[in-house]
Order: sequence, then C-alpha cells, then structure tokens
Amino acid sequence: MSDPAEVHALDPESFEERVHSFQFWFEAVQGYLVDREYGHRPELPEPELTESERDRLVTVLCNYCVGETAALDGASGLIAVAPNRLTKIFLSTQVVDEGRHLEVFRHRLLALGVEHPEDEIERRASPRLREFRRKLEALVAERDWDAAIFAQNVILEAMEFSTFQMHAGYADPITREVLIGIIKDERRHIGFGENELGRRLKHHPTLRERLQRVRQELDPLVLATLEEALGELQVPRAEREDLGRSYLAAVERLGVRG
Amino acid sequence: MSAEIAKLPTEPARRKYELFDDTGFDEVPKKYRKFYRRWGGEGDPLAPNEVLCPVCKIVIRSNRELRPGDRVYCMACMARLRVAEGPDGALVGLVEY
Amino acid sequence: MADFLSGYSIQYWLESCPQGYLEETEYGHKAGVSESDLILGDDLLREQAIKVTTQMVVGERCALAASSGLINAAPDEAAKRFLATQTLDEARHVEIFTQRLYDLGVGKNDLESTLREHANPNLVKFAEALLEKVEAKDFIPGVVGQNIILEGMAFSVFEMLYAGNQKLNPKFAQTLAGTIADERRHVGFGENYIGALIKEQPEKRPEIEKLQKEMSYYMLATFADQFRDNDARAELETMKKRAVEAGGEESQGTWQGANLAELDPEEMEALLASTVLGEFKTRLGRIGLEYQTPAQP
Repeated sequence: MSDPAEVHALDPESFEERVHSFQFWFEAVQGYLVDREYGHRPELPEPELTESERDRLVTVLCNYCVGETAALDGASGLIAVAPNRLTKIFLSTQVVDEGRHLEVFRHRLLALGVEHPEDEIERRASPRLREFRRKLEALVAERDWDAAIFAQNVILEAMEFSTFQMHAGYADPITREVLIGIIKDERRHIGFGENELGRRLKHHPTLRERLQRVRQELDPLVLATLEEALGELQVPRAEREDLGRSYLAAVERLGVRG
Repeated sequence: MSAEIAKLPTEPARRKYELFDDTGFDEVPKKYRKFYRRWGGEGDPLAPNEVLCPVCKIVIRSNRELRPGDRVYCMACMARLRVAEGPDGALVGLVEY
Repeated sequence: MADFLSGYSIQYWLESCPQGYLEETEYGHKAGVSESDLILGDDLLREQAIKVTTQMVVGERCALAASSGLINAAPDEAAKRFLATQTLDEARHVEIFTQRLYDLGVGKNDLESTLREHANPNLVKFAEALLEKVEAKDFIPGVVGQNIILEGMAFSVFEMLYAGNQKLNPKFAQTLAGTIADERRHVGFGENYIGALIKEQPEKRPEIEKLQKEMSYYMLATFADQFRDNDARAELETMKKRAVEAGGEESQGTWQGANLAELDPEEMEALLASTVLGEFKTRLGRIGLEYQTPAQP
C-alpha cells in the first residue's frame, strides 16, 4: 500500500478495500498491542484491592467473558454467511479480536486469584446476558445476516464499548489498560456494523421494521445486563445515563426505533 | 475560457495544513496516523481542517481546510463521512452509507 | 488440555506472527518486491501461475469457512481461541493469494469468474466433503479434516512450491514462507488437541477414517489433473524448460532430496502424493487413527 498524501482523496472502493483487509488490521494493532502481555504492560504492579472490590471485579469480568464468548461465536459463525470476500476477511479480524478479549479477561481473572475461570464464569454469569447470547446464536444459526450483525455489531458492541469506557475511568491500572486496548478494537467493530447495515437499509428500507423488532426483543436484556454491571462497579447513578448515549445515537443514525 | 465557465463563482482558496504524526494516536497503521487524533471532549475545539467522527468520536484531520460537501474517512471505525454545516455553524460529519 | 493450549494462545500468536515473522511485510512479502519478470513476461508461465494460485485461493477459502465454522462447535474456550487465530491466518492467506492474482494481472472485476474457470473440480469436492462435517458441527471429524488433511496437504504443496520458487520468484517464495509458518501451528494443534479427544470418543473413529479416505482420493485426483492431464503435462514440460533456460539447472531447487528441475511431471506427482500420504499416515497414527488407503484416480 503506497503512502497517501491525503487519505480522504481515496475513492470509496479503495478505502473499503484497505480498511477491511488483514493488512490494515495487522498494521493497526501493531500500534497498541506491541509490548503488551495479555493486554497490559507486564511491568504494571498488581493493585491492592479489598476483598469486596476484588469480588465485584471478578463478577464483572466473568460477565465480560460471557459477552466476548457470544461475540466470538457470533462473528465466527457469520463468516460463512458474509456476502463477500472483504466482509469475510473483516469478520476474521473481528474473530481474533474477540478471542483476544476473552483471553485477556480470563487472564485477568487468573491474576486476581480465580483458579478455575470457567467454573466461576458459569456461576456468576447474568441470566439476562446468557439469554442474549442464546438469541444471538439463534440468529447466526438461522443465517440471518442483517439481524445477527445488528444484534452483534450494533447492540452488543456498542454496549460493550460504552461499558468498557465507563469502567476504564474507575478501574485499577491493569484492568484499565486491558480495557483501553479492547475499546480500540471495538471502534472497528461498531463502525463496520453501522456501515454494513446503513448500506443495506438504503437498498432495502423494509429491513428497518425487522431490525426494530430485533431491537425491541434485545434492548431490555442488554440494558438490564448493563445496569447490573454498573451496579457492581458502583458507578454513580447520575453517570449511568450517559452510558446508552452512543448506542442510541447509532440506532438513531440507522433509523431503527425502539 | 468560455463565457459559461467565466461566470462560475470562484471558491476562496483553502488553507493548507501540514500534518504530523505527533498526537499519540495509535489505532490505525502508522502511515495514516497523522490524519487522526483523539478528541478531548466538549472543551476541545476543532481546527478548520478537522471534523469529529460521530460514530467513534475520533477527530479526523485533513491537509486542507474542510468545507461543507467534502468527503472524509474515519479509519478508526471505517466510516465514510460527508462534511456539513451544523446548526451552530460549526462543521459536522454525517455518515454516508 | 488447557495447559497445553496455552502455547496456542492469542498472546503467543501475536508475538510470533504479526509481531514476529510477518513484521515489515506487505501482503506476505517484503515491501517493494514484485512478481518475477520471467513469469510476467511469458504468457504461458503467467497463465500457469494464475491456475496454481486459483487452487490456493479455493483451498484457503475452504480453510477459512472450516476454521470459523468450527469455533461454534469447539468444546472448550481454549480451543475456540486457537481457532480464532487460525481463522485470521486463513483469511490472511485468502487475502495474500487473491492479491497475487491481481499482481498477475487478473482484474478486480474478473476475480470470481477467474476462480470459477480455473478451480479444479476435484479440489472443490475435497472442500465440500470437509465443509459437510463443519456444517453439521461435527467437531472431531471437522478438525481432523481441516487441521490434518487439508493443512497437511497444503503444508507439503506449499513447501514444494517454496523450493521451486526460492530462486526464480522470491516474492512468491516469501509469501509461501509465512504461510508455511502458519500451517505449522495448525497441523500441530490438529495433532495435539485431537489426540486426546479421540481417546475420549473412540466411536468417532470409523467416521473420521472414512472422511480421510474420501478427502485423500479427491486430493490425489486434484494432483492427477495438475500433472497428468495431457495439456497440463505439456505445459509443465515447457515451463520447466523455460525456467531452466532462465535460471539454470539449480533454479528450481531441491525438495525431499530431489532436484525439481530433473523430475518429469509423473515423478513430481508421485513424489508429492507419497510425501503427503506418508505424512497423513504418520500423523493419524500418532492420534490413534488408522490410515485408510484411498482409491487411485
């Protein structure tokens, strides 16, 4: 790829060819993952947490693992349904991003003294989040590209993006660094979801009604999960209102009403 | 020059900007980093060659002054945007699908 | 299982692949290196390179569909994470071999029609046999088909192509070297991970052995089409002659102890087939499966 004098002068087709490539992903993550081990600088010292702080953090991380496993299964399942090569390649980069998120959260649990993360995840997972995961899996199994991309890359990713951003503001230094790296990946995923659906809605306006139904079904589950996570993180109630803002702005731009 | 072309209003020359990769933005490949920077929130004013990506809240920079109708790309979230004038006269980016 | 798999973590993958042997590469090769003039300046060689690369894109598309499809069926989270890295490896291979088709002069709008025109029907059947297991979420046969049979075949074919291109076409050889490094992880996972699962579920053996026999047959049939078909044979002979004229007797390298420039197409086919089948036999034996001799095409 030659060095462009002005990136905005690219034609839309060349832009897409670049940003949906492995090559782009590869050069992008080099910037913020180099010298990181399991998402943070290895020299950062483990923070002193009280037993109740540690316990709350473990619950939140267990639920993040459920969300990331849902996203990993979702993104990988969608590769077979993706309409073209660029979309397949982009989703492959998302698959490895989601796998990495799952790995770094699991590693964080181990560092916090959780001996068997899988058992702990099973024990602490929110029933609503599990329900969301089942619904997403069903959409992927039905090979419903539009609804599954909406559920995964718009609803789930936007919610994770906002939660991680808010959590990073309160987190210990190691968890914060892990979250900041993940947020950088999520930017690509939410942008991809919004653009892909925006394009399809332009050509198939009737799709909007169907996505509205998906939203009505999934919104309560995701919002309740978020509320639970923020409660665990003890985020002041006044600040929680900001959380849904980026998600609501995205669905508003797509014209998918709740 | 034909009379037709001579009548067209001439657009005032745009200011040029030299961009440097000096903002610490590390989310896109090195060669594209100078075109982006992190946004500091409400109190962070945008220069005439900058516009905010509404999808991922990253500041997009161009090497020329931006005007309504220009197309810009956000590589952090892969959005294509059209520059427009917002209600308060400031430039905003509208997502184009 | 989980301890062994820590060697296959995403952290390990990041350090060894994007931050390791792929650092400072573009589409799998050093920046600024281009396809050899010998190929670009000779219509026959260029056409043959397009045909060979087409089979690679077809194989890698199948591997991408299989590895991503198997994540949902994986029994534990560690296997899911490894398959996530494999999914991206395969997508990268699709991308770099597609890019090679563009570098060889295939127009972007002609990509799919070129693939349809040149894709070997036996290779397509090989892929379909595997993807049927993946579609059914049949994890153990899926991983054996993908990580031992498909990857094992790709590993040997790419090694032979690497030997043949190292001097004549460094750009392609560099692309292959990175791909081979990826395949090493994939075949390693197939063997190490599946061995334990087969011990736990011995009833799966007959189904897997049947799949191996079927896929092996289609693989041999693909080789036969590439080397034995009269037109292909004549083309290969001419190509080899031109390559030797351009680079000398040593130009095509040595693989499995044989000087590739000295082999006729039948000998090349036999060497490739026996190497791949020999590898299958050894690997399958290690994981407790009995190798099934396929029919000869």
